[in-house]
Amino acid sequence: MSAGLLQQELRSRARHLSAFFVLGDPTPRISLDVMLAAVDAGATMLELGLPYNAPCADGPAIQAASRRALAAGTTTDVALELVAILRDARPELPLNLLVYANLVHSRGPREFCRDFATAGASSLLVPDVLLEEGEELRAICLDHGLDSVQLVGPRTPTPRLAAIDAACTGFLYLAALQGVTGSDPDHAGETQGAMQRLREVCANPICLGFGLRSVDDVARAFASGARIAVVGSELARTIGEASASGRDPRDAVAARCRALAVALTAS
Amino acid sequence: MNPRFGVFDRYGGRFVSELLAPALEALASAVDELLASPDFRRRLRRELRTWAGRPTPLTHVPRFSDRCRLDVHLKREDLLHGGAHKTNNVVGQALLAKELGKRRLIAETGAGQHGVATAMAGARQGLAVVVYMGAVDAARQRPNVDRMRLCGAEVRLVESGGATLKEAIDEALRDWVQSVDDTHYVLGTVCGPDPYPRFVAELQRVIGDEARAQILRATGSLPDAIAACVGGGSNSLGLFRAFLVDDVVIFGVEAAGRDTRTGGHGMTLQHGRPGLLHGARSYVLQGNDGQIGDTHSIAAGLDYPGVGPEHAMLHDRGRVRYVGANDAEALAAFDALTRDEGILPALESSHALAFAMNAVERGQLRAGQRLLVNLSGRGDKDLATVIGSRRP
Repeated sequence: MSAGLLQQELRSRARHLSAFFVLGDPTPRISLDVMLAAVDAGATMLELGLPYNAPCADGPAIQAASRRALAAGTTTDVALELVAILRDARPELPLNLLVYANLVHSRGPREFCRDFATAGASSLLVPDVLLEEGEELRAICLDHGLDSVQLVGPRTPTPRLAAIDAACTGFLYLAALQGVTGSDPDHAGETQGAMQRLREVCANPICLGFGLRSVDDVARAFASGARIAVVGSELARTIGEASASGRDPRDAVAARCRALAVALTAS
Repeated sequence: MNPRFGVFDRYGGRFVSELLAPALEALASAVDELLASPDFRRRLRRELRTWAGRPTPLTHVPRFSDRCRLDVHLKREDLLHGGAHKTNNVVGQALLAKELGKRRLIAETGAGQHGVATAMAGARQGLAVVVYMGAVDAARQRPNVDRMRLCGAEVRLVESGGATLKEAIDEALRDWVQSVDDTHYVLGTVCGPDPYPRFVAELQRVIGDEARAQILRATGSLPDAIAACVGGGSNSLGLFRAFLVDDVVIFGVEAAGRDTRTGGHGMTLQHGRPGLLHGARSYVLQGNDGQIGDTHSIAAGLDYPGVGPEHAMLHDRGRVRYVGANDAEALAAFDALTRDEGILPALESSHALAFAMNAVERGQLRAGQRLLVNLSGRGDKDLATVIGSRRP
């Protein structure tokens, strides 16, 4: 089913720590260094968000990251260049794109998928397109060798989970909480229940994100059956604080990633 | 990326996160059920009549008509409880929220009229209310902020971006995804994911149904043309829907703001292109990459980079002619109606009146034609802006 290299890339290890960054945060140049530093410090996968000025699924930390990136001139073309450079630098690294629908729509879904697949992206997650609205886009992804990643929530009904799994070629991304990115995970029981339902009905690898901050959160994600754990808002906050206080965001992000990567080897 | 849900030709859909899918599904079922229920229709009509003051009158305005060289009639939504057409929608949605067992209402507001209507209906139904409002809008529509708070609503100011209606909707959607168990999102216009555009239009259609019967009674025939201002598009669609199959020319008036060349406007249909914003495919004011555009209008309710998907359809089909009125023209129309007829129109509605004042000169209507204008709201909220604009 897989359109591209993603499943193969994912198979390279049992667990992945995925670091989410808004491309171009705080500037395109520094962003590139920050992402490479995260990988050198232990992130085994990257999730790359295109900055957007109406990010309705994101909390304050990633909204601020988007604002920084846009203010620094990160256009879709600049994001494309960053992806190409990352791919050259790390040929085996899974690169999942997270892009709001209007940015895909604006470039034209066909052009968007072609350009980012050519640049070296592995897969695409569009957080604001429902299963039913995404059929055409998923077909275009397949045509261009981009796997499609599907978001599900802790309250997605089981039959719908199965339908989404069937439409997905990359991995299923479970939001660990019913909320926006970076929120406090206050429904831990609900997440565990959803993980169990996913494990029962889904064939694709499971990724857990939204609200994961600490090495304990990441370890718990793996223990509950996730193959991929995503940390995003925490890293965006780290970049924001470092930039605001004149420290090097590369060092700050590398330190965070080194601490989080401990969960990859913990039993 | 053509939509599958709530389709208006190539527009509409449910472009939201999967986390909202169950809530929208439940909402859509409830909407279908309630709209088909004679009992719900009865309760809605009773509440609109006894609490909100429907039907609103149709007013002939001879002095303003002379000024326009037209025969102008106004549908008086400014006289609806709360001071604008927004109450039509909110009464229906509050009843729906009770049916769904929700305890809390959230709303976005631009001009504050939708926030006021939601605060009032929440008080009436015993539901908690939180209203998101851009900080810029709250500053220029201060009386409405006070009215919301007096009704017991919490007003949360949104500081991000342009701090106007678009940001308020962003924030309301973020609240809703977290609070969906006990909260109904009372969207204030015909935008948003399905089922909102069709539900809100259906609730606002009472404007057009009444106006059509009233003008037939008053004049013996349908008007030559009808006009309403278009921000998100709910007062206009409420009027237009009753006249779509008639031989009546329909004008939607967008905010031409300060300057249509530099982007200081809200002319989404005339200067935007199709995109995906706030859950639907429609026209969107946006940059080359799809970043949502900045807007400006002296009327907070028209200061929005999106528009309802049904308007996008009507625009493409050519059924409605979308035109513009700028800030200065709206202010002039505010003065004219106030002096000529003793009616203070909202600055949003003043855009539709500005169209009336200029239509003959611009060749959009012929002298002597009969025009029905929806006076969507009253202007008390705008006094500071109007008086401020006169200072040297």
